[in-house]
Amino acid sequence: MPEWSGPLQKIDDWRFRIPKDYKPGMRVEGIIYASEKMIRAIRKDQAPEQVANVAFLPGIVGKSLAMPDIHWGYGFPIGGVAATALDADGVISPGGVGFDINCGVRVIKTNLTKDEVLPRLEKLLSVLFQNIPSGVGSEGKLSFSPAELCKVMTQGAQYVISRGFGWPEDKDHIEEGGAMEGADPDAVSDKAIERGKDQLGTLGSGNHFLEIEVVERIFRPDVAEVFGLFEGQVIIMVHTGSRGFGHQICTDYLQKMQNAMNRYGIKVPDRQLACAPLSSPEGRGYFAAMVSAANFAWANRQLITHWVRESFEEVFGKSARSLGMEVLYDVAHNIAKIEEHEVDGKRIKVCVHRKGATRAFAAGHPAVPERFRSVGQPVLIPGDMGTGSYILVGTELAMQETFGSTCHGAGRVMSRSEADRTSRGRDIAAELERKGILVMAESKATLREEIPEAYKDVGEVVEVVERAGISKKVAYARPLGVIKG
Amino acid sequence: MKAFEILDHTADIGLVAWGRSLEELFANAALGMFSLIGALEKVDRGFATTVSVEGSDYEDLLVTWLNELLYLFEAEEVLLSHFDILELGQYYLKAKVSGEPIDFAKHEIFRVVKACTYYEVKVEEVEPGLFRAQVYFDI
Repeated sequence: MPEWSGPLQKIDDWRFRIPKDYKPGMRVEGIIYASEKMIRAIRKDQAPEQVANVAFLPGIVGKSLAMPDIHWGYGFPIGGVAATALDADGVISPGGVGFDINCGVRVIKTNLTKDEVLPRLEKLLSVLFQNIPSGVGSEGKLSFSPAELCKVMTQGAQYVISRGFGWPEDKDHIEEGGAMEGADPDAVSDKAIERGKDQLGTLGSGNHFLEIEVVERIFRPDVAEVFGLFEGQVIIMVHTGSRGFGHQICTDYLQKMQNAMNRYGIKVPDRQLACAPLSSPEGRGYFAAMVSAANFAWANRQLITHWVRESFEEVFGKSARSLGMEVLYDVAHNIAKIEEHEVDGKRIKVCVHRKGATRAFAAGHPAVPERFRSVGQPVLIPGDMGTGSYILVGTELAMQETFGSTCHGAGRVMSRSEADRTSRGRDIAAELERKGILVMAESKATLREEIPEAYKDVGEVVEVVERAGISKKVAYARPLGVIKG
Repeated sequence: MKAFEILDHTADIGLVAWGRSLEELFANAALGMFSLIGALEKVDRGFATTVSVEGSDYEDLLVTWLNELLYLFEAEEVLLSHFDILELGQYYLKAKVSGEPIDFAKHEIFRVVKACTYYEVKVEEVEPGLFRAQVYFDI
């Protein structure tokens, strides 16, 4: 793979520009948030070219943005953010969301401390492992009729809460209330339903996980207090998405848009950037199907939350309520949303694509839950399985610069085959255990593909968004136990 | 001629397939994809079905063909190992595919392939009578 040799102009220590004249056809410039050191790594593959390609999308406004966890994707880079204007016949691109629609992160709090959990950690992990289906081909414990699946698509987490899988107040701490508006089951193919129906309530495999973590550092005590976080506290992080249901929806609409692009006279430099105007039948159909998958994912994380609570109840012999197991927040990091933002001094409606990027709204925004509105939206950033996670808060600068968006995780630096070569003959679970992290995984191969060295240092990623000012660090949590598919 | 080889990609996996005819090329691409999913040596032929897909050109047809097989893998829970292309034109492909329902005690599954993408997809005749295809998968 040749290094990317295109122009990257340093704006300041944390921002690099790809000028609009780099490639004819770019409608806006590209901005990559990164440190000088990271830029050297970012140049090693074709991710910056993808930032430039996204700038071709009809109706794109502001800039084609990339967060510091940027890495080489397909179509969009992972870590890419792009907004298209609705009134300028802006497009929606399934590749700008990705196959795992509403892949995202949820954090559940407890009032337990590390010292209370450590003696029972092994038991806790094995109970969680038993109660939450994970791994390739895992099937959910519940069976949903077609009518019930339609409700999952339109009412998301709220539907499964109404069925008893959660607390009524859980919905107040989920992006979009866990039920985004605009879903239409008629826009979803039978194939997507067939592929997804047994996967609701499963963690999946690959980079998805469930982690028991301890809050080890608080950076902003005032915000942490509002979030209900304290040093030594045990929290649970769930990272999963819409499973095969979302994969099929993306596949279906990518093909539809290949054909539609000719009809609308749209030309993009990469076929994976296939798109259609949001106002077109294809654009509207994709949006309605994507929202259905997003709601499926929120229902999925809600079901898992329910089983996490049940598992803790079983191990600690106390009710989940008395263990303080509230949902802190739940964020989507692969999604497209219709939002209002200020562009060139005017407030306009845009479709914000976040492909491996997290919404990070500032204090005062009406979409931020009331409880957090005085400080800003909680932003949940998982690291890799060896290094831990960060909880950030949204800022006003993110509203001005990045359509209220920030990074989503560590980002890979090593290909899977390279990770496989590097880890050959090593017992990854034993290595992690020596670092004080217990791991249970369905597949040893997954563990090796997901070795900590395969990822960027999430600490460096978070440092860039903090220094650039597009979100602020609130807490750092270290993993104690990990469940991998 | 190798049937296929793996391409490195930071987050995902690419595949190059070869064939002396387009039929062999499309069959080898499918074989390559399923080799990424699981160990195919122990897959019997207890399952067979016919697959028909349409595309706007050979590249679209290749991506759609591979995605259709991924759908079968997840929805029917089958590991596929034999691909017999019955008809192949620029816009249409019909094939008989066979394999075995997944048995976790017998079959080793390496990973889930979420989808075949259109990123850098290529179908080309590199020399007379030798075809090459390239695709990237989302893992």
